[in-house]
Amino acid sequence: MSALLQSKTLLPETIANLLGLSGTLGAIIGGLIGAFVIANLLLVQTAVAGPWAKRKITAAFTDRIAVNRIGPFGLLVIVADAVRLLSKELVIPEGVDRPAWDLGPLVIPFSALLGFAVIPMGSGIQLADPETGIVFAFAAGSIASVGLIMMGYSSNNKFSLLGGLRAIASNIAYEIPLVITGASVILFTGTLQTSAIVAQQSEPLISIAGVTIPQWFAFVNPFAFVLFVIANLAEVGRNPFDIPEAPTEIVAGYQTEYSSVYFVLIYLGEFIHIFLGGAIAATLFLGGPAGPVLPGFIWFTIKIWLFYFFTQWVRSAIPRLRVDQFLDVGWKGMLVLSFANLALTAIIVGVIA
Amino acid sequence: MSLEEPEPTQSAEKTAEQLPTTGDEIESLLSDVVIGRDDHLNAPGVIIRPDDVQKTLRRLRNKAGFDHLSCVTADERVDRYESIYHLTSYDDRTRELSVVVPTTKDDPVSESAAPVFRTADWHEREAYDLVGINYEDHPDLRRILLPQTWQGHPLSNNYDQDRPQIVTLKEWENPLAEDHREEEGDTMYINIGPHHPATHGVLHVKTVLDGEQIADIDPDIGYLHRCEEQICEAKTYRHQIMPYPDRWDYASSGLLNEWAYARAAEDLNDLEVPEYAQVIRTMGAEICRIASHMLAVGTFALDVYGDFTAIFMYAMRDREKAQNILEDLTGQRMMFNYFRLGGVVWDLPEPRDEFFETIRDFLEDLPTALEEYHDLISSNEILQVRTIDTGVLPPEEAKSYGATGPVARGSGIDYDLRRDDPYGYYDELDWDVVTEDGCDNFSRLLVRLREVEESAKIIEQCVDILEGWPEDERTIQSNVPRTLRPDDDAEIYRAVEGAKGELGIYIRGDGTEEPGRFKIRSPCFSNLQTLPEMSSGEYIPDMVASLGSLDIVLGEVDR
Repeated sequence: MSALLQSKTLLPETIANLLGLSGTLGAIIGGLIGAFVIANLLLVQTAVAGPWAKRKITAAFTDRIAVNRIGPFGLLVIVADAVRLLSKELVIPEGVDRPAWDLGPLVIPFSALLGFAVIPMGSGIQLADPETGIVFAFAAGSIASVGLIMMGYSSNNKFSLLGGLRAIASNIAYEIPLVITGASVILFTGTLQTSAIVAQQSEPLISIAGVTIPQWFAFVNPFAFVLFVIANLAEVGRNPFDIPEAPTEIVAGYQTEYSSVYFVLIYLGEFIHIFLGGAIAATLFLGGPAGPVLPGFIWFTIKIWLFYFFTQWVRSAIPRLRVDQFLDVGWKGMLVLSFANLALTAIIVGVIA
Repeated sequence: MSLEEPEPTQSAEKTAEQLPTTGDEIESLLSDVVIGRDDHLNAPGVIIRPDDVQKTLRRLRNKAGFDHLSCVTADERVDRYESIYHLTSYDDRTRELSVVVPTTKDDPVSESAAPVFRTADWHEREAYDLVGINYEDHPDLRRILLPQTWQGHPLSNNYDQDRPQIVTLKEWENPLAEDHREEEGDTMYINIGPHHPATHGVLHVKTVLDGEQIADIDPDIGYLHRCEEQICEAKTYRHQIMPYPDRWDYASSGLLNEWAYARAAEDLNDLEVPEYAQVIRTMGAEICRIASHMLAVGTFALDVYGDFTAIFMYAMRDREKAQNILEDLTGQRMMFNYFRLGGVVWDLPEPRDEFFETIRDFLEDLPTALEEYHDLISSNEILQVRTIDTGVLPPEEAKSYGATGPVARGSGIDYDLRRDDPYGYYDELDWDVVTEDGCDNFSRLLVRLREVEESAKIIEQCVDILEGWPEDERTIQSNVPRTLRPDDDAEIYRAVEGAKGELGIYIRGDGTEEPGRFKIRSPCFSNLQTLPEMSSGEYIPDMVASLGSLDIVLGEVDR
């Protein structure tokens, strides 16, 4: 089963073979084209998620209709919004610290896209599969914090500064539980390689009446899964953990001074981040692209969209915590629980293995 | 205040009969300071010397139970300036007293009442700003509504309207100059507002932060000052003033505001209101209160939740229903202009049955809706964590600041003008005053949600009464003279329970068809003053939540 879902060849290699190239040149061109394909797959999904799906989902939760005027189901609002946002004036406030101010909005989407390089998306779509894959994904995702701080500090605005500081505080408080919880999965797999983690989850856990339930770590260790999802929510900065932005408190946090293209880039980055969070959760806990009948890539897309839907659901349903309470939950709750989870998992794995 | 006389504990035990209430009793209590009498239509009035203000007010508060400084009116007369302190009591609203402090024309200096009643701080600043009386011993006598650079005092008699308000460029060169950026220290100065998502309009909160906590906070108002008092002074009593109250608290409280003017002007001109009209007024006012509280709850949830969530939409949905009923009743969605002196402008809409049916449907759905609110807001644990024990306003502080309405009742002060100083049809109906003892943001939220239930009770009874009203006795207006000319020097201060609290109006007649002085006592104005008290030392999000729980409408704060 794993062989079917996980082709052994990576995407750049496949492309190189298709083009009849080999050696270094093939690797480079295959890699570039592969990266282009994956990035665009994600950007298209983000375009749907941002201007359209977000509105529709939130509207459904709050008894509204939302966009429905342009195109079928209002889908063409994506085009309209893209044109609208890109044609706005880019206001550059006095006294901003350039180029940090300009680089910040670039760092965010790119850090998230970078993380996707090692994610197995099924149907042979995976850019690279290094031994340290999952660590790379975490690390790349965390670069976004640098972007947030750059924006917060360079904007020459006190609300931005507060937002930047809050972003650092929340990232430190929740990144540790996130990685520690991820590590508890690594204890089972014994490898950091994403393809191997996914492959291991395709083993059967139990069979009931002919239906085989795979060994997804969400089933093996649901507690870790819950912890991971919560930490992940905080990591991507969605409600109720959106304190770095907190519109009613600090206007828009680190992005207060950004307009036009930069604004688009920041939002793009946020949505890709949600998808990256979903992708890491899927890889570690939900068998990656595995699933019955449909091709792997479709299942992968469904999983990351489910996570996206979940973030929007939570956003509509749960109030925001105060910044000190938020950090309390991180340091006093999540951290302790994630270490407890790690220790317990280590003991269980040690006893069984 | 070290000079303050200790709070007498026995005053609470004294019954109202023992406390000096009539003008003569008060005069004998204050025999050493009173220099004359100036009784108003609503209350006895005593005249004191400008340097006896603190002494007088402190004695009245401690010995006579006048613990509520409802309003301070400043007025320039032909030969003198006057500051009028409208005192009353939280325990017995019908006990009223005006303390009149005349000062000379050439040197209008009067002692400040701020050390006795903290609410006098802002009221006296306004008096200084608009009329031009100086208050000695005032903690911070700056302009409050107009820019600091304003020339002249607009409500004074010799104010030159054509005088150019030009200030040198240097003063406006950098409006953010008070940025304090260069100062050494651990605190950060930040301007929250006037353009901020959570200030409910154009409120500017000058904040000094210590980390994320608030070290000092100073609300700066006046961005929405529209000279409402002066407009009313230029209009005739009979018809011209009534449209303006709708625009004070424009967030659905129109009829409540209109009632404030109607009550003051009717008592001033000795007008009767037919009972039938009173029932309609009562019903309309309570629908307004529901609409207003819905908006308050929705926006408060928005402030705490942080994003447009279901609760905001649900609150708006239910407010919309109330709004539709009001539209049927008055013909307008928000700027109703429905009350007239001596009644209301027209009878209930035809067909009456259909109208009553709409109201009954609304009332029937309301308990389900409120259940939903309690599910979504008040029983939500995160919201409780956010709001319980934040924005604490102890009852004593609330009284000193002159807090009224849900803000006072959320601090456990059992004070509601509908019951304590009955007007309209309220005393004939069966309903309760809601209080909560928590003194925090959560209590104020609960008070509003529970008050909606009480308002629904009142509306239901009104509908029953109106349905059974004999057809030939439906008098909607009494006989009111075409022109109203109250006597020269006839003065009255009357208040009603608005959605936000005690909405009072002082009118001085000057023998013409237009008021000589028209002063609005805005509940939001007094309530907003409590913000520094509530939020010092708390986090920014709690300050925002406290601000939301005060439910201010800047149109009413700034007038």
